[in-house]
Amino acid sequence: MFEARTWKGRTALQILATLLVLPYLFPLIVMVKGSLAGQGWKNFRAVLQVPGLGKFFVNSILIAVGVIVLVYSVTMLAAYGFAKLHIAFREVYFWMLLACLTLPEVVLLAPLFATALRLGLYNTYWAVILPLAALQVPFAVLLTRNFLMGLPNELFEAARVDGANSFRTFLHLVIPLTRPIAAAVFIFTLIGAWNDYLMPLVFLQTTDMQTITLVPQYFVGEFSNDQTKILASAVITAIPEVAAYLCLQRFFERGLSAGALK
Amino acid sequence: MQQRQPAPPVAGSVEGADSDQKQGRRRHRKPPGLPWILPALVLSVGLIYYCIGYTGYISTLNWDGISSTQPSVGDKNYVRIFHDPVFWAAIRHTVEFFFVTFVIQTFLGLLFAVLLHARLKLAMVYKVIVFVPVVLAPAIMAPVFRHMFAPDGEFNSLLRDVGLGSLAQPWIGQTSTALGVIMAITIWQWTGLTFVLYYAAMTQIDQSVLEAARMDGAGNIRTLINVIWPGVRGTTVALAILSAIGALKTFDVPYLVTIGGPNYATEFLGTYIYRMTIPLDHVGYGGALSIILLVIALVMAIILQLVGRERKGGS
Repeated sequence: MFEARTWKGRTALQILATLLVLPYLFPLIVMVKGSLAGQGWKNFRAVLQVPGLGKFFVNSILIAVGVIVLVYSVTMLAAYGFAKLHIAFREVYFWMLLACLTLPEVVLLAPLFATALRLGLYNTYWAVILPLAALQVPFAVLLTRNFLMGLPNELFEAARVDGANSFRTFLHLVIPLTRPIAAAVFIFTLIGAWNDYLMPLVFLQTTDMQTITLVPQYFVGEFSNDQTKILASAVITAIPEVAAYLCLQRFFERGLSAGALK
Repeated sequence: MQQRQPAPPVAGSVEGADSDQKQGRRRHRKPPGLPWILPALVLSVGLIYYCIGYTGYISTLNWDGISSTQPSVGDKNYVRIFHDPVFWAAIRHTVEFFFVTFVIQTFLGLLFAVLLHARLKLAMVYKVIVFVPVVLAPAIMAPVFRHMFAPDGEFNSLLRDVGLGSLAQPWIGQTSTALGVIMAITIWQWTGLTFVLYYAAMTQIDQSVLEAARMDGAGNIRTLINVIWPGVRGTTVALAILSAIGALKTFDVPYLVTIGGPNYATEFLGTYIYRMTIPLDHVGYGGALSIILLVIALVMAIILQLVGRERKGGS
């Protein structure tokens, strides 16, 4: 796109890019530098020695896995149904689902709270998994259905002619063929569940149930506002996310792009 | 469709119905799909519509969320909202937030995309630095930003170091700059995504058109304005929709960095609903606010569908 044929031009573009990147680097430097201020590496040791730190990670993993499994399974089934099977009033159902696409989660707060209390789900993983999954499903279905609609009908008719029922078609055609789009669904569901703050804040009361997004708050209480340790805890909770991104860069970029484009 | 022939009298009624229409027959051969979509409908539509109905009911009550007495107040909560200056402030913040973050993000994302298409050195490093914020949870970064924008924080010391010490101020502690900080954090977080989307869109632009523009003597800026910008229009529209939805959903950053303050300067619909529903126990009022947010979100969803259709029709 931009082109620099001369040595001068190329240097100018390089300098421009570097200057533009610096503000993005700055908060990360502040985070790392702040976490090493004062007692240096001892901050990290103090944070790591807090009992139950691992539990935050375990909880986040369990919730993310729960949301992903739930979203993936109902999405694949529904996308197949919407794209390739006969459903009376299909458009009506689809629109009912699409209407939930732009829904901010905060809208569900009061009724979910009252219902979770009544059903005894308050302070359980389900109180977070179910609403998070419910909010992710509409977009995942839209994406996967569009992908499946792009596959030729003849493929599915051939399977039917060969005697495969819809269940076998699902297992042997739909699941393997949707792998590229499933990767995208996987990534944006993972990020959505892992980074969510509001649902765990409201529905997970005890620290042994809470997720990593609540760690900074927990440490504000634990270290009575010792900034260096709070920043050290931020670094520790950020490391797995950055590592996962660095290992699976292309997946993350594609998945999140798919998650962004309607 | 109108040339339907009456079924011959000999043929049985079942067969007649079956061969009714070519289309009808093909549709009949497709296995039934309703059981396949049921789990998704129950989970998503069931849970969400149940909650919306419940919220609608709550919004007519004067309820603290716990007590068993739930006196109905009719539409009083809604009437109150329209006279609530904080509600209107939240709407204004959302609109301002959308325009500022969208324009700056688009500009920066586009710039990064064209720059990294120019085969710079260290392009990979630049990309990672700009994209990492997208992956990090706002909740984890919030303490970092509180620290950074504090009166004695790194941002003010940076200003002093570069000789702009007179600009140093309590960024998140005063009403005039707090919203700007929230916008800056959001831009920091989402530019990476804008950039990746534009970067991908630019690979779709016809190289021969670019070559032709260059042959005609167009420089970088002119190529950007006249060839690249129209070429990525679809992406820009999608990003505008995404930013608008994001503005409506805004919660984590203002709640964690400024708690909606100071003096409601960074209050958004999300933080206001939360404040009303959980810490203040005005669950009925929070419900009414939720319904209004819901209506706005629904209108957005419809616009999104219409724009999407137009885009499909155009290409």
